[in-house]
Amino acid sequence: MTPDRFEEHAWADVVPEDLVQIYAPYQRETFVGPRPALILIDLYNLAYRGGPVLPITMQDQYPSSCGIYAHNAIEPTKRLIAAARSAGIPIFYCTSDQRPFAAPQGVGATRRRKPSAAQRLPDDFEIWADFAPQEGDVVISKQRASIFQGTPLISHLNLLGVQSLIVCGESTSGCVRASCVDGYSNGLHVSLVEECTFDRHELVHKMNLFDLHHKYADVMHVDEVIAHLDNTGAQKVAAE
Amino acid sequence: MSERIWDKFLTERDKTVLTAAGFGALADWGERPALIIIDVNYAFCDEEPKPILESIKTWRTSCGEDAWEAMPVLQKLIALCRDKGIPVIYTTGIRRADNWDSGSWSWKSKRRGETPVLKADGRDGNEIVDEIAPGPRDLVVLKQKPSGFAGTPLASYLQLLGCDSIIVTGTTTSGCVRATVLDAFSLNFRCTVVEDGCFDRTQASHAINLFDMHAKYANVLPSGEVMDYLNTLPQGLFDLPSGQGMGTRAAAE
Repeated sequence: MTPDRFEEHAWADVVPEDLVQIYAPYQRETFVGPRPALILIDLYNLAYRGGPVLPITMQDQYPSSCGIYAHNAIEPTKRLIAAARSAGIPIFYCTSDQRPFAAPQGVGATRRRKPSAAQRLPDDFEIWADFAPQEGDVVISKQRASIFQGTPLISHLNLLGVQSLIVCGESTSGCVRASCVDGYSNGLHVSLVEECTFDRHELVHKMNLFDLHHKYADVMHVDEVIAHLDNTGAQKVAAE
Repeated sequence: MSERIWDKFLTERDKTVLTAAGFGALADWGERPALIIIDVNYAFCDEEPKPILESIKTWRTSCGEDAWEAMPVLQKLIALCRDKGIPVIYTTGIRRADNWDSGSWSWKSKRRGETPVLKADGRDGNEIVDEIAPGPRDLVVLKQKPSGFAGTPLASYLQLLGCDSIIVTGTTTSGCVRATVLDAFSLNFRCTVVEDGCFDRTQASHAINLFDMHAKYANVLPSGEVMDYLNTLPQGLFDLPSGQGMGTRAAAE
């Protein structure tokens, strides 16, 4: 998207004018970089529990659910994944490493209290069925917030010659943010897909998107990213 | 290939096992390499070629004359890569004046506390030797541990440059060269080690580490073959640093 539409995103209604001015030097053209891979952060069942309602209304039963925000992102995410498959780009998922004996006490993606036994279900960390991984996809198990931390992701990306990332998933303030920053620090161009990214509260979501967009990633609308992928896919077909 | 530098150190059983187990195959070259020069600084080379036993009196890490034998090889490789626009990346050490950050290094050397400087001009032993001094468009990675990747931006530089492979030279073969090759291998970069562009303090370690790397992680090849390969690459494959302002900065320092 062109620099003059740089602030046309989810945060527009909460970010005051003086803040936009302070961040004016970050304005630039946003784009999907060369040789991208799709990175789907933590699209596991736990994030969708309790259905499309406000997370606060089911805080006791499903404290990890993003409720309505997770469900609103389902359709655009399905479209994004379909476009990535058509374009033939590598697809990486991640989920929480729940293997027994995998980590000492206190290791986790955030400092939140552990859920009670009653709050846990055996398929909590399986990928939401709408996005079920397919043959050839890679699912990374991680113990911390970033998909890079302590995982073989960067080796896989090198092997495939990946040079940029298209990121989406949850939560904007946690694992998405950590993964975008690590992607950027590893020298990869990062595009973050707004409509396919979510958190448990709008304000946190918007401010983290704002931070990421200005400093580390190009926050882009799902239609722009899909158009880009469709275009690459079409070029590939034409070349063949 | 005819006789290799490590052959004389191997037992007959070693040779048979290796062949039977299928190690040591020649891997494909990459398409986008970077030249890596590990730690060719004064602490490892001394200020001039001196017999190693003499040299280590001042520079406990010196590799003596072997370092200077590799120097013309490095000069040729560096000149060719600069000419072709292939990234040239140096590593060297960096240390606090009080040596606190030597950390684990102090656990295995009785002479760790020594911090000699150059007789000629008082420079630090971590200075890369003038004969192969970094140019304005080269990259220098400062490190504190054996691997060029440990706690450094090296991996992100390779990513930014779009490298798929590294060509490794420098010292010591058994220490920082091997550690860097191993980490690159773990990151899925293809590795070539230039046999006559590497050196070590101990001859047996040099040979056997080349042997190990050739068996498992890298193609260990003489510089002639590496240069033949580099010559097949197209000109200007990389978006290298412009080098703008680097001369002035060096002069200001």
